[in-house]
Amino acid sequence: MIFRQLWYLIKAAASNLWSFRGRNLISTLIIGFSFLVIGIFLALSNNLTHLGQQLSNNLAISFFLDKKLKPEELELIKARILASELVDQVTYVSSEDALRRFSQNFPELKDILDNLKTNPFPPAFEVKLKEKILNLSAIVHFMEHIKSLKGVVDFQFNQEWVEKMDSLSRIVKAVGFFLGGILILASFFIISNVVRLNVFARKNEIEILRLVGATNTFIRIPFLIEGFVLGLLGSLISLLILFLLIKIFPIYVGSTLGAARELFILRPLNLGQIIWLNAGGVVTGTLGSVTSVSRFLRI
Amino acid sequence: MIELYHIWKQYQKPHWALSDVSLEINTGDFCFITGPSGSGKTTLLKIIFREILPTEGQILIDGVNILKIPDHKIYKLRRTMGIVFQDFRLLFHLSVFENVAIPLQVLGLPYKEIRRRVFNALRQVNLHNKMWDFPQRLSYGEQQRVAIARAIVNNPKILLADEPTGNLDPELAFEIMTIFKEINKQGATVIIGSHDRELIRHFGDKIFFLQKGKIIGREIKK
Repeated sequence: MIFRQLWYLIKAAASNLWSFRGRNLISTLIIGFSFLVIGIFLALSNNLTHLGQQLSNNLAISFFLDKKLKPEELELIKARILASELVDQVTYVSSEDALRRFSQNFPELKDILDNLKTNPFPPAFEVKLKEKILNLSAIVHFMEHIKSLKGVVDFQFNQEWVEKMDSLSRIVKAVGFFLGGILILASFFIISNVVRLNVFARKNEIEILRLVGATNTFIRIPFLIEGFVLGLLGSLISLLILFLLIKIFPIYVGSTLGAARELFILRPLNLGQIIWLNAGGVVTGTLGSVTSVSRFLRI
Repeated sequence: MIELYHIWKQYQKPHWALSDVSLEINTGDFCFITGPSGSGKTTLLKIIFREILPTEGQILIDGVNILKIPDHKIYKLRRTMGIVFQDFRLLFHLSVFENVAIPLQVLGLPYKEIRRRVFNALRQVNLHNKMWDFPQRLSYGEQQRVAIARAIVNNPKILLADEPTGNLDPELAFEIMTIFKEINKQGATVIIGSHDRELIRHFGDKIFFLQKGKIIGREIKK
């Protein structure tokens, strides 16, 4: 008998979803839109996280050396550099290598180089830092230490960029949590109100069911199934639109934003985020339905 | 047997919708509660099927005090009753068959049994040929008969009807009342709230007269 009732309730939910398809479509679109906004934000934040990682992966320090250093002195400096736990890799770039690299990178300045009688580039150690290390004070301390060694003339490090990226990533995270929180609350509010309107429009049906002796569970289940389906459909629609946006967006953004374009790339959601977004839709739809129907079930 | 003892009901102070109503309805009675609009007929019927609770008083149905039944078990009481409303309360997105089948689907009966019982109930109200129509295609009288079929499909012990002929012309009203009488002959206790004197005079076995929430008279024909 329980299975028969359950089957009936599933059929009732399906029939209601179809009978009130206009209203249900609007509810689904609103749920979809709310989760789309959250999805877009997640995709943007994915991109910033990616940029931050890329930047920290490419962090490099160049230590410029005295041209007259002997090989054993070079080895000593290299050993001191490698002794630091921040360092991933050290490469020696000779004056000739530096000149060659410069002429390759800036062929338009070839004439100036040709007029020079001496090679102006000092030899250097290029130090690649370990991934995901963004501890600025430790890096500065390390650089000062190496610079104090005999034979090290100067160093170069894109410290400003690292500082900017560091604070940008902090701001983005803070804004993200704030905006995300507000958006999630707002969507929950919108969705539960839409579902409440839906339930309110069917209060007649709930009343009839109560009066012919249906249990509260019997009345709730079709609404629960409908809320579940609407929530799931809504979040799936948001994912579909987000997928299309990710594909189309770069074409429209084009090159007008210049370098800032990198900041506005939508990066696809990972599996965990997709699951959370769907679960969010399902939970919001189902909870919204069940809480709304409860107020019609007194006596 | 339905027994009401000193029922008082107040929606808003200082007016009493019902004042000290006591009455007894025996199993198998065909009974009318009558009185002018606002006299408390609907309130009394709502209290009998426990849609609302009285402010004071007790109600026994077959010896059970229905006011002591916890909310989550009220469905058991309602399954023994059939209710017909003046405004029919049909679901317009469902067919006649689906509307009448609701009380049986709530019970989880097999489809074959539901089909058999719905057909019988619709035959009783002479609507079996419109089983698959939708309510909006039916006349007022036919819609009311669908509502009656829904109320009797479950073979209820008690059938309550609130102004069931309020929207119908005298001829149709007479027809509907004949259906109620038929159901009563099959064993159900029928309680009807109505202010149609002609029908009451013709059909009523037991009549309670209400005015301003008080019973001001009773008439027993049998």
